[in-house]
Amino acid sequence: MTEEKMIVNRRDFLTSSAAALGGLIVAFNIPGNNRLLAAEVSKAAAVYAPNAFVHIAPDNTITMIINKLEMGQGVNTSMAQLIAEELECDWKLIKSVSAPVNPVYNHTMFGPLQMTGGSSALASSWDQHRKIGAGMREMLELAAAKRWGIPVAEVKAQNGFIVSARGKLSYGELAEDANKLPLPQNPKLKNSKDFKVIGHSMKRVDALGKANGTAIFGMDVRIPGMLYAVVARSHIDGGEIASYDEKAARAVSGVVDVVRFGNKVAVLAKNTYAAKTGRDALKIQFKSNKNDTFSTDEWMKHFKSLADEKGIVAENIGAVEEAMKSSKTQFTADYEFPYLAHSAMEPLNCTVNYDGKKAEIWSGHQMPTSDRDVAAKIFGLKPENVDVHTTYAGGSFGRRASKNSDYVVQACELAKIVKKPLKMVMTREDDTHAGYYRPITFHRAKVGLDEKNKLVSWDHFIVGQTVMGNSFFGDMMIKNGLESAVTEGITESHYKFKNFRVQQTIPKNDVTTLWYRSVGHTHTAYVMETMIDELAHKEKSDPLKYRQSMLSESKKHMAVLEQLKKMTGWGTKKAPKGRAWGLAVHESFGTVVGQVAEVSIVDGLPRVHQVWCSAHCGQVVNPEVAKTQLEGGIVFGITSVMHHEITFKDGLVQQGNFSEMPVVRMFDAPVVHVDFIKTTDAPTGLGEPGVPPIAPAIANAVFQLTNKRVRVLPFAKGMKV
Amino acid sequence: MKVNINGTIHNVTSSEDTPLLWVIRDELNLTGTKFGCGQAQCGACTVHMDGNPVRSCALPLKLVGEKEIVTIEGMKDKISQAVQKAWVENHVPQCGYCQIGNVMTASALLAETKKPTDTDIDNAMGGHICRCGTYQRIKAAIHQAARELA
Ligand code: FES
Ligand code: FES
Repeated sequence: MTEEKMIVNRRDFLTSSAAALGGLIVAFNIPGNNRLLAAEVSKAAAVYAPNAFVHIAPDNTITMIINKLEMGQGVNTSMAQLIAEELECDWKLIKSVSAPVNPVYNHTMFGPLQMTGGSSALASSWDQHRKIGAGMREMLELAAAKRWGIPVAEVKAQNGFIVSARGKLSYGELAEDANKLPLPQNPKLKNSKDFKVIGHSMKRVDALGKANGTAIFGMDVRIPGMLYAVVARSHIDGGEIASYDEKAARAVSGVVDVVRFGNKVAVLAKNTYAAKTGRDALKIQFKSNKNDTFSTDEWMKHFKSLADEKGIVAENIGAVEEAMKSSKTQFTADYEFPYLAHSAMEPLNCTVNYDGKKAEIWSGHQMPTSDRDVAAKIFGLKPENVDVHTTYAGGSFGRRASKNSDYVVQACELAKIVKKPLKMVMTREDDTHAGYYRPITFHRAKVGLDEKNKLVSWDHFIVGQTVMGNSFFGDMMIKNGLESAVTEGITESHYKFKNFRVQQTIPKNDVTTLWYRSVGHTHTAYVMETMIDELAHKEKSDPLKYRQSMLSESKKHMAVLEQLKKMTGWGTKKAPKGRAWGLAVHESFGTVVGQVAEVSIVDGLPRVHQVWCSAHCGQVVNPEVAKTQLEGGIVFGITSVMHHEITFKDGLVQQGNFSEMPVVRMFDAPVVHVDFIKTTDAPTGLGEPGVPPIAPAIANAVFQLTNKRVRVLPFAKGMKV
Repeated sequence: MKVNINGTIHNVTSSEDTPLLWVIRDELNLTGTKFGCGQAQCGACTVHMDGNPVRSCALPLKLVGEKEIVTIEGMKDKISQAVQKAWVENHVPQCGYCQIGNVMTASALLAETKKPTDTDIDNAMGGHICRCGTYQRIKAAIHQAARELA
């Protein structure tokens, strides 16, 4: 390939990663030019363009271009495994870099846009990435066969070489020849029984850099001459600025500039601390507005009253009202779920370099296409003049898939005025106050039982603020006033209900909301699984057997329940004295996860000692990495229900740093035992499905220990109600 | 002001009340040390001061004086190498943002206590927050590093 072509290639596809790759790239070339390609893939569809995803260097190093954000879930490793399996390359020579923005990297199911989310990375790349690896392998085989002048049937790919009776040629030696060959349209994929990489716990490619400090997160990006910006904002956006003390901020040592933009004021300084100190010195005041009196207590009362009215029917099975009338006894259970902040370990930040003609932005971009397009709009540039660099993300849990690219917008608005490289940094408190919370939600379950205490009718009402409303996605996802992200997990349940109705109301306010690890399932699984447990107890059934009787037609649920039984000895063994076992099983993102939590009560709160977890998630691509997702999901799920909540009083968020939202630490983390159902089905989600069952499993154990059904969350509040 | 970081004396211009974290990160561009909370609550910013793990986000420059500071970039000894290796082998890091702090404290623990018990580890690591929930793997990795160093 010519020098010039190589440069074009790199510019198109490796803008983020050129530095990481060094100079020597003999890459496969994308057929056709870039613009054409963009038009071809404007619909969400799996793109088959190996050279955009894999680069083979003459020294045989293989660089995988990963089109998903590495935010902890392990995509830089597991996505590479999909390609490596079919490519037959040497795993030790693999490195992964994050993809720039290009339609070729669009999500194969959602969009058209490049994004990470919905626990979909492996599920949506399973066919695409294996085909890419297989296609490249066939081209390399053909190139070798041609060089040797022998039929392709006589050559074989093996650990980074093509071998035959004539000897062996490395991929690096063959890449250029292979590049000139046509792309095989239907390369042959392996049978799963021959997998050597998929299904094996390859070491994470990012682990060492994350243990020795060389991994670069958004927070670590440095540009010469860069200023650090910390911004004063109102808690609920919309407030107009009344006053701020610019002089005081400028008096802080290290402060360089104070810039007002919209209803925000930024303090720019030589270091983050000076910027923060300057920002605090502004003592910004906002004019009074309608949100000044906003309180979550009042808002929840309002939600309850809405559940007395009519909602929009989201699901209706049988004849709920008649069945309710015929029932012997009825009871009603009201559940309250607070706002939750994602509180990822790395406070949100975004670095921007804008010189008036083009712009570059750096962050852990979960939706790089949207982040780029909003940036282009702000700067009045064409999207192709905005380079997006995706760094490692210090967690996200949904927050970085901001439906309005909120923090990227703020950094770009500021850069447009300042025209100097800058990094906008949120402090921990800023991150907590910045909105985009898991929506506050109220559930009312009214059930009717017969004379044997068996369920005859279930009438369910959900009052929940929108997840995706007020955004481009909301328009796509909210249909006829119904938002499935609020009801998912209650609707389309696998439990066999004869009479079951779900109604929904979506009240509006100005607090911004967003998806949060496992989205609607964060509350629907809690309600469903604690109610099922309660129904089992009412008719004096064993909670596991009760579920089996209600789920007999769902193979995945049945397999998971059976595995949990084996893992725990449920039915034969019992929890140690003073402890109890609580069970929950829930499907989300195509994966069924069952958990048994061993719980005691310490200082009036549940203490989780150990958790057994079984998952049906299709083919497990990397067992150890997969386990970490469930272990981490469980710890995250416990934090989400133990103390965490975002409350508002007089329009202000009451929490700031971790002291006001205690999280699970090592000494209160359970020991987690994970096992998977063995299957060769295509992979389903894993990043989120570990979260939903843990809270109801704990609650079901709490009931056995205290006879109390906790229905107000977090537990710190609900245990006292 | 002068600070001794990783064996080198640096002349720095940040004001004396600036927490060491920001001198390390923003003035010296040693970005391995992380910012998580700024209030000595999460442990992400842990560095060694005369061998002890300290929270650099809550340590003003003026209190550092001539004490020897070691950041992750300066951790080249046998213990920290064993810790880092154990971190990789046990698949510890997820997002990884908290892990530098954990590695710093774990290395200090193993320098003091050759064979820590689970309780020793719980006590030493209790100041660290990992939102990805890697705690049980951190514990396993510390045990493994201890075994390899024995
Ligand atoms: S940043 Fe220092 S302890 Fe959190
Ligand atoms: S690995 Fe992500 S916070 Fe610990």
